[in-house]
Amino acid sequence: MASVRLENVTVRFGAVAALNDVSLAIDDGEFVAVLGPPGAGKTTLLRTIVGLEKPESGAVFADDENITEMYPGDRDIAIMFQNLALYPDRNVYDNLAFPLKQARTPKAEIKRRVADTAAVLHIDHLLKRKPGKLSGGERQRVALGRAMVRNPRVLLLDEPLSALDALLRLEMRVELKRLQRDVHRTLVYVTHDQIEAMSMPDRVAVLGSGVIQQVDTPENVYHRPANQFTATVVGSPPMNFVPCTFGTSDGVVRVVHPDFSVRVLSTTSAPGAIVDGASCVLGVRPEDVQIGTGNGGAPASVFVTEPLGGETVVDLHLGGLVVKALTPPALAPAPGSDVRVSFDPRRLHVFDAATGAAVVSAGGADGVFEVEGPSIG
Amino acid sequence: MAEIHLSHLTKQFPGGLVAVNDFELVIPDGSFVALLGPSGCGKSTTMNMISGLEKPTSGEIYFDKQPITKLPPGARTVGFVFQNYAIFTHMSVAENISFGLRVSKPRPPAAEIDRRVGDIADVLGLRGMLDRNASRLSVNDMQKVALGRSMIVDPAIFLLDEPFSNLDAAFRAYMRAELKRIQHEIEQTMVYVTHDQVEAMSMADHIAVMDAGRLQQYGTPDELYNAPANRFVAGFVGSTQMNFLPATLTLGEQGAGNGRSLTLGIRPENVLLVAPGAAGATLAGKVNLIEPLGAKDVIHLDVAGHGVRVVGVPGQRPRVGDNVGLVFDPDRQLLFDDETDLAVEA
Repeated sequence: MASVRLENVTVRFGAVAALNDVSLAIDDGEFVAVLGPPGAGKTTLLRTIVGLEKPESGAVFADDENITEMYPGDRDIAIMFQNLALYPDRNVYDNLAFPLKQARTPKAEIKRRVADTAAVLHIDHLLKRKPGKLSGGERQRVALGRAMVRNPRVLLLDEPLSALDALLRLEMRVELKRLQRDVHRTLVYVTHDQIEAMSMPDRVAVLGSGVIQQVDTPENVYHRPANQFTATVVGSPPMNFVPCTFGTSDGVVRVVHPDFSVRVLSTTSAPGAIVDGASCVLGVRPEDVQIGTGNGGAPASVFVTEPLGGETVVDLHLGGLVVKALTPPALAPAPGSDVRVSFDPRRLHVFDAATGAAVVSAGGADGVFEVEGPSIG
Repeated sequence: MAEIHLSHLTKQFPGGLVAVNDFELVIPDGSFVALLGPSGCGKSTTMNMISGLEKPTSGEIYFDKQPITKLPPGARTVGFVFQNYAIFTHMSVAENISFGLRVSKPRPPAAEIDRRVGDIADVLGLRGMLDRNASRLSVNDMQKVALGRSMIVDPAIFLLDEPFSNLDAAFRAYMRAELKRIQHEIEQTMVYVTHDQVEAMSMADHIAVMDAGRLQQYGTPDELYNAPANRFVAGFVGSTQMNFLPATLTLGEQGAGNGRSLTLGIRPENVLLVAPGAAGATLAGKVNLIEPLGAKDVIHLDVAGHGVRVVGVPGQRPRVGDNVGLVFDPDRQLLFDDETDLAVEA
């Protein structure tokens, strides 16, 4: 087991910077998910850690040892690829034993290590079977076992669940989390699936266009997104963005929309970050949009409702925008009806319109925002 | 516009695989129906038989009561939208949309074509980009162009085969609402094939759930979710899977079926966590694992050796290892017969 650290790593393919000045420190025994859309540089990040890509600048450390120039085979870092790459003509035992044989491990030791690994992964009853006779989930575990069996310092997983069907994915998500808790490996997990990235790891590193956007706990990435990009990659349906302007009159800071305004009661943002009349973006998650019929809130109309079973997505026209709200099915208004919309002030976010950076974020706290009634004129 | 009736439709492939087995379905005129099921359930084969790309082994297909089983695909007036949108990237948006009219014989006058393209662009929200080259569009606009291209020939029905699988999550959420709105506006019969229960639930008026070539249930999203016909449907629909626990039927008196082996089904959001031993707690369990999902948590419990998932509110999160009591919402419990897997009246 080991810690891993990337320091100012840049990897370029021709003119394109797949990773641009990336710094990321992963603690010993920590489970970190790297989340981003296709093309964000996630796989390049893994390949750089394992040594399959060479950074143009910057350095990679394992346990404070600089391994940037080290040959991949000498790094003691294991990677499991998306397509598993099991040997179809060898049984589970031989697949698991293969990396140990390559390392010229004594026979008795191989036997013991394979048995231990198989037991942890609950595949000890399958050792004599060939991969063709295994289910998708079992194959996944064998591939994971083959990456684990040498007891590498660091385990890297590249979209390990993306080839599985939905129910199996749910099951493996729980399995992986349990496993990591039991074996305490340093685990770096690449995924484009926000549910995987939210549910399993200790921390999430959000990657966009080769740049680290935020590294934080799943809760903080969700409730205190550093910028609009991060706010969009977690949450389903994604966060609503409402273009607004800042208004600073009488020493009161407001986020102003033609149909409503939001008072900013306290802010930790740097002086000068909020300029009267400047454009900004109000962010509100669908579950924090409240639909009513009284006088409070901004007028909106329902154009579509999407029942999901346990909850319903209500698509609203608010001004010229579509805003999605998440409500219990019993409270969903009928399509075509006119309603009033308000926002939970403990869950609002304000972003800079130009850079997308978060200016103020309530993050679940009272006293940061106060939503004011419709049309302050 | 047309009503579709699939009557005792069966498709057996050479080699013996029965992909679709005695499938019976009526899709009303102007409705939005999803064919939902896991891969290999026969949904795409069913779609291909509706379009004419596959011939049924037996059974009949009717459009508006007219048998069309023997008609070639081109004579069925079916509009198709595929997963890989297949638009012409060297043409403008307007040229892509008008393509079906421009190659039809007799070709309508240019003014008529322009008018039709304009109407469709309005419905799809593409009015401002008609002159743009299709290769310069975002993927979600490309998928709209593909839809527009199938709309122009005014097909009797639309068949959409997993059209959103290539779009990223944010676009998918946006397109779900858009397609639903478009279908409401054009009021055409739409059949939508998907393995994604969220897409089926959120958009369709009615959903036909398939498994192993057979129709499992045909109903509204609400019926599927709250009154699943069998254990398969109960487990397939819902983003956090329903909990299944073994149960035995005990009747007060010596009744028929006393001691029958059943499975109790309860959705994770219908289980309330309380203090262990609290009044009303039906069962006791121990917290095994917590999956934070942002808006909610999924709490995994061990209940006498059975895994039970409960949806929790992030503010009131128990700790791993805590002992808790479980209260099941009595109105939301379902029972399934262990022999037939069918839902039984509680």
